[in-house]
Amino acid sequence: MTRPAPIRVRIFVYNVGFGDCILLCFDYDQGRSRTVLVDFGSTQKAQSGAPPSMNDVAREIGEQCGGKLDVVIATHRHADHISGFAGSSGAVISGLQPEVVVQPWTEEPGLAVDATDSAASSPRAGNRKFTARLDRLHAAAAQVLHQIPRLAATPGVTASLTNELRFLGETNIKNAEAVKALQAMGDRHEYASFGSDLGLADVLPGVGVEVLGPPTLAQSPEIAAMAASDADEFWHLAATADAVPGQPSVRDLFPGARTARRVPQEARWLVPRIDKMQAEELLSLVRILDDVMNNTSLILLFTIGETLLLFPGDAQLENWSYALQRAPNSADICARLSQTRVYKVGHHGSLNSTPRTMLWGGFARAGQVDPAERLITLLSTRAGKHGSESRGTEVPRGRLVEELEARSELVNTQDCRAASGWWREVVVPL
Amino acid sequence: MAVSSSAQIRVVAQDPSVRVDGRILTALVSVPVEDAREGPTGHRVQVIDYDATTRTMYARARPLDPADPSDENIMGDPAFHARNVYGLVMATLARFEYALGRRVAWGFPGHQLKVVPHAFAVANAFYSPDSEALLFGYFDRGERTIFTCLSHDVVVHETTHALLHGLRGRFLRASSADQAAFHEAFADVVALLSVFSMREVVQRLIDHYAGRGSRASRKGAVSASALQPDRLKRSALFALAEEMVPERDPGGIGALRRSVDLEPDQNLLNRLEFRDSHRRGEVLVAAVCHAFLEVWVRRLQALGTDMVDRERAAEEGAGIAEQLLTMAIRGLDYTPPVDLLFGDFLSAALTADTEVRPNDERYHLRETLLSSCAAYGILPASGTPDGCWRRSDKQLRRTGVRFGSVQSDPTEMFRLIWANHRWLRLPVTAYSWVSDVRPCLRIEPEDGLPVRETVATCIQHVKITAAELGDYGLHPPPGMHPDTDIVLEGGSTLVLDEYGLLKFEISNRLPKRTDENACKRAQARLDYLFESGTYAAGSAFRGRLAAVHRLRSTQTASSRSEVW
Repeated sequence: MTRPAPIRVRIFVYNVGFGDCILLCFDYDQGRSRTVLVDFGSTQKAQSGAPPSMNDVAREIGEQCGGKLDVVIATHRHADHISGFAGSSGAVISGLQPEVVVQPWTEEPGLAVDATDSAASSPRAGNRKFTARLDRLHAAAAQVLHQIPRLAATPGVTASLTNELRFLGETNIKNAEAVKALQAMGDRHEYASFGSDLGLADVLPGVGVEVLGPPTLAQSPEIAAMAASDADEFWHLAATADAVPGQPSVRDLFPGARTARRVPQEARWLVPRIDKMQAEELLSLVRILDDVMNNTSLILLFTIGETLLLFPGDAQLENWSYALQRAPNSADICARLSQTRVYKVGHHGSLNSTPRTMLWGGFARAGQVDPAERLITLLSTRAGKHGSESRGTEVPRGRLVEELEARSELVNTQDCRAASGWWREVVVPL
Repeated sequence: MAVSSSAQIRVVAQDPSVRVDGRILTALVSVPVEDAREGPTGHRVQVIDYDATTRTMYARARPLDPADPSDENIMGDPAFHARNVYGLVMATLARFEYALGRRVAWGFPGHQLKVVPHAFAVANAFYSPDSEALLFGYFDRGERTIFTCLSHDVVVHETTHALLHGLRGRFLRASSADQAAFHEAFADVVALLSVFSMREVVQRLIDHYAGRGSRASRKGAVSASALQPDRLKRSALFALAEEMVPERDPGGIGALRRSVDLEPDQNLLNRLEFRDSHRRGEVLVAAVCHAFLEVWVRRLQALGTDMVDRERAAEEGAGIAEQLLTMAIRGLDYTPPVDLLFGDFLSAALTADTEVRPNDERYHLRETLLSSCAAYGILPASGTPDGCWRRSDKQLRRTGVRFGSVQSDPTEMFRLIWANHRWLRLPVTAYSWVSDVRPCLRIEPEDGLPVRETVATCIQHVKITAAELGDYGLHPPPGMHPDTDIVLEGGSTLVLDEYGLLKFEISNRLPKRTDENACKRAQARLDYLFESGTYAAGSAFRGRLAAVHRLRSTQTASSRSEVW
């Protein structure tokens, strides 16, 4: 018997500030729908007006999915992608009784159990070490957050520096409550890597869901390099994580040592510089952590007939490059991706999450004038929270946004306001 | 009564994790005598003990206290930490000045390097050129606090960065994968070989590691079988920053870097993971370590096949390390001032050593270094069989040039260069300047006779846009905008003898359509710079050293053409 196929896709993109929250509704004949929630998190609320709370968004999702979610996807562990799954908003989502929860392989609970399995050399042991290391990186972020009040009160440390530290620190903490809520949700969990079969044929009839990332350690030398088994690779971060969050980070290093009552004249030029360098050091550490976590992000390709919807979470180049360059079937993947109809812009529009030539340059629908053929792009972001224009790292990246506006039908959550509704609905006929 | 020109300061020999008989191993190092004040503060180093995390300014420490401290004092007395960094920085500076035969300036206008032993509770240590300072962090591991300022390797490594910046400022700039790696590699080489200058430390470590579990028939002797390359490689002598590693091998020494473990492979530098500057640097370090080890083991084998006197073993190690370290440091004077490749450094070191120490019969050090580097795919840039630069056959025109001034006056040296620009193939249209002129006095070890040289560096650059690259025989990398501002660089090192005659001219010239080699090199540099993001807005190299230490292998090469 031929499986039914969707007749259209409705995509709801919610303005959750700096975060991702997208609902896919696959509509079939006779008014039936199947629904997929891709991420549900925020770290900075939307600007101006009366931005919705995550509870409001959860209730809205409940209405739009008709009280039932079929699949929940948490692309990676960053707070701006999963924070909503915690607390009361998470309870609302859980109440929608999703059947399947899909997460990257790095989230598989059993993997993180044995953090010191140094004797084993199997791929699974390597994976365990990697996830254990990720746990330590989360702890480092928590430790950095703990130091922010003191840094904020330090002359020479600018507000923009502490704001960025706070933002990245909050994004990268473990989000334990949300992780736990995701584990408790759904009848079935899939922890996916490149090439995984998610077994969604019955849940989403007529919809192919292909996992293009993240690669496993065995597949990708880049990811493997980040997870290298030598303990030294992350020693700076690991050392930061070793300090226990919650304990005072300022302690008497040398009890009873003689101290100077005031900064001597010869040190006055240098002392504010040392203060500033300390804050910069911490910021550099959490930036590394942020990149590592982004590269654990799921990259999913939904295929309905000839219509392709591409959802890469926050994947950066190292994650992308396996599917686009080194996988045995990368040429085939690139050829199919060229026909992408809907592209969820990676990592809120950062400079290195939409590979410029390998991916964007191949989109055949980019630049098409006919609305029925033109590429649709979904950008969930909030400017001014991440990176800086002077360094060319602002999010969203100006050059990328210009290109999206010029060559695609751009849906930008920053344009969703109270007056016009905090979400946009995009209908893709099939 | 003779007045000693050096004083002794007690320092931690390697780091507090290296213990012999249960105690932290310490050693005395010699530093130049000076009117040191509390801090310690002297004419080249100023210790400022400020902790940004606790916002504490510790009292200035007394400069000299050679007493043997208890382990509690080593760990718990900030004044000892201050003296430890002062001693190691001054000893490293003295080592460089001895090798180069002249005073060595820092890479900033002032004369005093600031050293901050407890800068912050961050697991990092680095040289900050902007702040004219070495900053050492600390961090907790369980119940213990790890102080990077107590690691001999870390302190010497960071000091070497500061000295190298003073000697070859442009090596801190982005240029090639090799140049990015060289700062790290050179600092590691100096840190590793410096340990051997502390002979009593080497003796005790030989006892502790090589002697462990082996037969020692009489006091002061160790079994020759215990001094085999594999056992020596596993010792703390070839490990860097032992204490920084949280998980140690059950049976050996953990370390932040153990480059000596890198097996020879001529293709190593072409592999993707060795584009990362730390990993790439390890290849050069491994080549030098293997050369050292090979010579040392050869000497040890000559001492006996059954038992070896440990004092003699340490003495041989010290002698070889001394020569190799001097060769490496002296080699800096013979490197081109811009766009360094490992092969340039190899030729420079071999040439520098040959000039002052022509007889290499005792150790065959140059020959061993040459073969060891070749095994790792590092070939001398000179292309000569012995790896040395070719001597110049040019007779410089010296009309109107005052020889007395040319040894120390950049303007006079520039006059000499201008008068000979055709011979030296330096384009007159480029912005050119003499960045350094130094008279040097080096002593030939065998006959004690002085070797006098003048070393000058001349740098040239042109500023163009990517659209003009074709005029220089280059082409823009794919994806580079035609309006991108480009700076092309060239540079020459001129080594003059005591009569002002040109001995060596070591150049990486500005690219020119008719010079295929220069174009090939400049194109590789341009591609590397574009790929590594140098032309991206806001990219800066001022903080590169801090970042390099932090980012070991946590970042992978990203393709410039893929980012926005």
